Amino acid sequence: MDIAALQNKLDEAKYICGGEVATTLLVALQLGRPLLIEGPAGVGKTEIAKVMASALDREMVRLQCYEGLDESKALYEWNYQKQLLSIQVQMNSRDAGELTKSLFSDDYLLERPLLKAIRSEKPVVLLIDEIDKSDEEFEAFLLELLSEMQVTIPEAGAIRAKSIPFVILTSNRTRPLGEALRRRCAYLYLQYPDIPRETAIIRAKRPNVNEHLAVQVAQAIHGLRESESILKKPSIAETLDWVSALEALGASDLTPEAAGQTLGFVLKSSEDLEAAREVLGHPGHTCGHGHGEGHSHCGACGQDK
Amino acid sequence: MSVYLEKLAEFSALLRQEGLPVGLQETADACEILTALDMRDKQTVKLALQAVYAKSREEQAAFQRCFDGFFVSAERRDAIRRKREEAAREMAQRRQDAQQEMQVNGQSMDLREDLQEVYVNMSEEKREQLRQMLEKMKGNLHRSPKLYSNFIRSVFMRFLLEQQMAMEDASVASEELDPELALLYRDISQFKEADIPRAAALIVAISRQLDAELSRRRQGRGHSGKLDFRRTIRKGLETGGSFYRLTFRRKRRKKRRLVLLCDVSGSMLQFSEFALRFIKSMSEVSESSQTFLFSEEVREVDPFALQNMDAFRDYVRASGLFGRGTDLGGALEDLNRRRPAVLGPSTTLLILSDTKTIDLPRAAQALIEARRQAGKVLWLNPIPQRKWPYMASIQTMASLCQMAPCSTLDELARSCRRMIKG
Repeated sequence: MDIAALQNKLDEAKYICGGEVATTLLVALQLGRPLLIEGPAGVGKTEIAKVMASALDREMVRLQCYEGLDESKALYEWNYQKQLLSIQVQMNSRDAGELTKSLFSDDYLLERPLLKAIRSEKPVVLLIDEIDKSDEEFEAFLLELLSEMQVTIPEAGAIRAKSIPFVILTSNRTRPLGEALRRRCAYLYLQYPDIPRETAIIRAKRPNVNEHLAVQVAQAIHGLRESESILKKPSIAETLDWVSALEALGASDLTPEAAGQTLGFVLKSSEDLEAAREVLGHPGHTCGHGHGEGHSHCGACGQDK
Repeated sequence: MSVYLEKLAEFSALLRQEGLPVGLQETADACEILTALDMRDKQTVKLALQAVYAKSREEQAAFQRCFDGFFVSAERRDAIRRKREEAAREMAQRRQDAQQEMQVNGQSMDLREDLQEVYVNMSEEKREQLRQMLEKMKGNLHRSPKLYSNFIRSVFMRFLLEQQMAMEDASVASEELDPELALLYRDISQFKEADIPRAAALIVAISRQLDAELSRRRQGRGHSGKLDFRRTIRKGLETGGSFYRLTFRRKRRKKRRLVLLCDVSGSMLQFSEFALRFIKSMSEVSESSQTFLFSEEVREVDPFALQNMDAFRDYVRASGLFGRGTDLGGALEDLNRRRPAVLGPSTTLLILSDTKTIDLPRAAQALIEARRQAGKVLWLNPIPQRKWPYMASIQTMASLCQMAPCSTLDELARSCRRMIKG
């Protein structure tokens, strides 16, 4: 596969991105390296894994990280109930040593996402989502998998990957990740899209929306992200929700009224809503955000009048 | 092919020199990717190599700088070479002129080499200032030639040291590339109005990291060695009385409490916007923090005042502490004395100050006592680290507690990481 082919596949999956994303994905694929994607929340990091699964026609296995995540939730666990039942059923019919040995076989192993990914006959896309939420110990535990593509289960020994999964790790940078983990990955930093790209995303995902509204929404979202008073910056998914809400209301223009009625789809806290209404609420502005006569610049959409 | 490999190895070495942790693996990967993928344009090659070599946003900036400097076309390389040669010729001429100008009584002034370089690189205007001064003083030459030589030398030294500091400051500002990353490296006292929103967002992110690391709840993996009989027996009931899963006691970790002591005296005025935003962010993200401001006195900040930035700014201005002298000793003694106790074994005391204070010995004594009472004392200093050796108060305080620079946001983030780990 070359860059153009991958870019086409991403386009087909309606993932609008620049050359940097496609090139980095191809490099990681070619080298068989995990890909670490960092960036603010809501820029489409997780979406890349989903899109790659569909582009490569592979199953996606997802591991959602959180504080306290350990190998019993991420890698494997023994099926204790089944083991206990087997002991009771076979106690008198089998040799004790043989029975004990059989208890730590595949039949009693509960696969968790990591084990599932490396034992899969067909290569999968393994998404390790929000790795920064997990503990440093778990990060260290992942190193063996990421560098050797194998995991070690004390009772069963090292298990090598039957097929090499395409591993994607995402992080919102809530804590710095260790150097050892970074060194084992290819790296991509995703930023919020600029206005033309966000417009293209809206047009790709919501084809029924008119061009004018798409541009207005993209500009307004860009303004909200730039505004200091908005604490939680709107994600791309929220942009699309906003467009859907405006579409449902039959709005063909982003007027202050329409924006006011649907802002709850973009901003999810009362402080942010209040701050946004203050910016969007003034009447008499051509871009739909209004600033009165004297203003030459719209804080919400960044447009110069 | 070997030339090609050699070039790549040279590039890896250059990246290593720039501080990127590049190993053999990265070079091998870069080689593999360039041979496997048919990349025709420079931009794609750059992006592909960036994915292999740069493993963080900060490293990406360094990588781009190195790549643009290393892989240049033959014409551009020639142009750069010509420019360098011309600059070298000009510099040689300037050095020669400078040698003649830096003479007193017909003899060389015997200045340090780095100061001589400063003179060479100084603007014509500044050099003219020195020349005029020499001209004015010439009348004293005959009265006492030795005294005159010493005096001129000391004046030159002082002037050149000042210039050296100014040039260092200017070079810090000129290293800006990516506007967002540049903000990380700009001196916090140089923030412009337009930078504030982005700087504020970065400060919030850093504060969140600092708080997350300071108060991280580590879930016990494994066990502390003591069997929890009650839980083991209860768990055993689920499996017909066999103690299949043993439960062990876990050590409880107490969340660390954060006490912020922030200097808002006159000497900190240039950093005040940064300091106030840092305090506000820390108090927002840390559930168990207490904030104190000090100059000549100390005062605890009302948590309600921290709810929004404008209110907080007004609150600090109205407190009467803003812009006055500094009595760090008094502030720390007050904290040490407070009942119920503010400092304790599970407290981290975070001081944000430039160390400029009256009665340094008293401040040092009070800091020793605070260190005894608190579990940990960390000091963030907004003065750039290169200026620390010139300030006695910084050296005294740094010897008593863990001090880290925070003159730029990048330094603040690095310091926070280092302090947490240390």
